[in-house]
Amino acid sequence: MLYKFDFSFLLEKWPAFLTGAWLTVKLTVLSIALGFVVGTLCAVARVYGGRALRLLAGGYVELIRNTPLLVQIFIVYFGLSSVGLKLSAEVSAVIALVVNMGAYTTEIMRAGIQSIHHTQLEAADCLGLTRVQTILHVVLLPAIERVYPALSSQFVLLMLASSITSQISAEELTAVANNVQSDTYRSFEVYVVVAAIYLALSLLYRLAFNAIGLMLFERRRRLGTAL
Amino acid sequence: MTNMISPRLIAGLALATLSLTFVPAQADTLDNIKKAGKVRIAIDTAIPPFGMTDDKLQPTGSDVDTAQLLAKDLGVSLEIVTTTGPTRIPMLQTDKADLVVSTLSITPERAKVIDFSIPYADHPSVVASLRDVPLKEMSDLAGKKVAVVRGTTQDTDLTQQAKGAQLVRYEDDATMALAFASGQVDILATARSLLPAISKKNPARTAESRITMQTFYLAIGMRKDEPKLKEWVNSWVKTNLQNGQLGAIYKKYHGVDIPVEQLLKAGN
Repeated sequence: MLYKFDFSFLLEKWPAFLTGAWLTVKLTVLSIALGFVVGTLCAVARVYGGRALRLLAGGYVELIRNTPLLVQIFIVYFGLSSVGLKLSAEVSAVIALVVNMGAYTTEIMRAGIQSIHHTQLEAADCLGLTRVQTILHVVLLPAIERVYPALSSQFVLLMLASSITSQISAEELTAVANNVQSDTYRSFEVYVVVAAIYLALSLLYRLAFNAIGLMLFERRRRLGTAL
Repeated sequence: MTNMISPRLIAGLALATLSLTFVPAQADTLDNIKKAGKVRIAIDTAIPPFGMTDDKLQPTGSDVDTAQLLAKDLGVSLEIVTTTGPTRIPMLQTDKADLVVSTLSITPERAKVIDFSIPYADHPSVVASLRDVPLKEMSDLAGKKVAVVRGTTQDTDLTQQAKGAQLVRYEDDATMALAFASGQVDILATARSLLPAISKKNPARTAESRITMQTFYLAIGMRKDEPKLKEWVNSWVKTNLQNGQLGAIYKKYHGVDIPVEQLLKAGN
C-alpha cells in the first residue's frame, strides 16, 4: 500500500497559511531592517570605537552568536514577563530576532568596513572630512557592497529561523502549519506545503535584495561587476 | 560536462522518487511486538502526573506505570518513545510507536485516523484562572487571553465554544505552564489533573478551576486495522480495571479514584 497524499485541506485552510505567511513577512522585514541598523552601528563601534565601546560590542557579538536563538527568544518572552515586563509574543519575537540579527550583521559589516583600503581613508583625511563624514560617505556604502551577498544570505536565514517563534505562540507560518496539522493529521502534506511557501518566500526575499542592491550600488548597476 | 553530471543526477532523482513512494509496514503489530521482544509505547513525559521525569530524569507517572504494566503482561520489554501532544498520532501513523498511552482522549476526529481501546481512565478538562480573575461560563472569556496547548481537545473546544476569546497556543504543557507562571497569561484551559503542578511553579500565581469543559475518557491508541492487537489491549484494560490495578496506579499519582463502573460501561 502506498502512502496516499491528500491535499484537500488546502481548499479550506489556505487563508490561514496566507495569514501566517504575512505575519512571517512582517516579523522578519522589521527584524531585518532594525537588526541591520543595530549591526552596522556595532560594527562601526567595533572598528572605530574606543576601548570600552569595542569591548561592549565584542561582548554582545560573542554572547549572542554563542547561544541558541530559541533560548534568546525564551529569555525575552518568559524572562522579561517574570520580572513584570509583559510583551506580546510578536513584540518579543521581533526583539529577540533583532538582537540576534544585529550580532551576526556586526561581524559581516566589520569584515566589509575593514576591507576598505586605508588609502581611501587617507584621501578622505586630505580632503578634510571628519571621522563621521568619512564613515558615512567613504566607508559605509562600499563596505555594504562588498559584503552584500553575505548580508542577504543572513537575512534569508533569519526569515527561515523566524519559524521557531511559533514556540512562544506567535501565529506565524510554522504555527499555522502546526495548527492545521493538529486539525487534519495530514502532517506530511502540511509540512510539504509549508516548505514550499518558505522556499517561495526565500526566493522572493533574494529577488528583493537583488533589486535593492541594484538601486543602491551604481557600479553594479552600470558595469555589473563586483567591487 | 553533461556526461559527468547525469549519473549523479539520475541517482539523486531515483533517491527522491524512492523517498516519495515508501511503503509503510503493514504486518500484524501484535506479532511484530512479540517477535521483537519489545513494545514501543509513545508517552508524553511533560504532562505530570501522567507522564513526567523523576529526580533521576527517569520517566514516571500514571501513563508510564500503565505502559510498564502492559508490557509486563504482554511478556516483552518496554521501550518508551517520548512524544508531545501534537505528535502523538503521527508517531503511530509513521510507525515510530506501536501504541500510544499518553492522556489520549477519545474523539471522533481522532477515531477517523487511529483506533482506540476501551477507556482505561477519565480526564476532566477545565478552564482555570488566577484568584482575582473570576469566570462563570464560556462567554466570560470573550476578549480575554486564554492559554491552551495546540492540537489538544481543549484547543478544539475553545475554538468552537469560546467565541471572541483570544487563544494563545503553546506547543506543550510545560511551555503553557511557564507562560501562566511568568504572567504572560492569567487564564488557561487544561486538564484538571495539571492544576496542582502549574500552581506549584509560582505560589503567587495559583490556578483555580472555574469551568468544567468536558470529561474525557482516556484510551490506548493504535494504528487502524489491527484486530488482534485491539482485542488483546481491550481485554487487558478490562481485566486490570476489574482487578483494581489500573485504579491503584491512578490513585497513586492523581490522589483520586477512577470511576471503574462508568469506564467499563463506556467501553461496552
